[in-house]
Amino acid sequence: MDFQAMISLGAPMGLGLAAVGSAYGIGRAVGSAMEAMGRQPEAAAKIQTAMIIGAAFIEALTIYVFIAFFIAMGKVG
Amino acid sequence: MTASMDISFIDRTLKTTAVLILLFLALGSLHFPFYDVLAVVSGAIWSIINLYFLALLVKATIRPEGPDKAAALVFLFIKVPLLYLAGYFLIKVPMFGVGYLVIGFSVPLAVIFLKVLGRVLLGLDNKKPNHESQQEAA
Repeated sequence: MDFQAMISLGAPMGLGLAAVGSAYGIGRAVGSAMEAMGRQPEAAAKIQTAMIIGAAFIEALTIYVFIAFFIAMGKVG
Repeated sequence: MTASMDISFIDRTLKTTAVLILLFLALGSLHFPFYDVLAVVSGAIWSIINLYFLALLVKATIRPEGPDKAAALVFLFIKVPLLYLAGYFLIKVPMFGVGYLVIGFSVPLAVIFLKVLGRVLLGLDNKKPNHESQQEAA
């Protein structure tokens, strides 16, 4: 298997893995935040803020992978 | 008086980032190639809008009185297809280096990180409100 074939195979696979990982991470973060807000409604604002920040960081990781995917595809195409 | 870590923290972070990138646009274009500076600024603006709509989406969905479905759908439509499409076209602009766009995308996250780090180091979230400490003293 040559270098280009490896990138063609690996880049979409990596993007898919990153998407699955991010979806799992955001799902867990939001689920835990909901649980925490249910237990402590008076702290809901702080929990919501922390959740948004966490979601933004997780989303950023996916965006980085997405950009790396385009760079890799540029090398292939 | 210290501002609390409530939902306004996101708005304050976005304002800080906006001021930072305006300063960078003004000063950076004197020292760096203009399109590189523009790529960083464009990435940062995209990231600010993305974070803004993420916060709006969460605020519309998670409310004590139940989710505002119409608003949530509008924010979701703006965030996922439209904003991501804009991001795709930003990457495709030939004058913009992808690395500079990534730096721009990361600016609001760096601002969040530094603001939170500052709060942790200064112990702002551990301090009790004034009225509580006065009651304890009494």
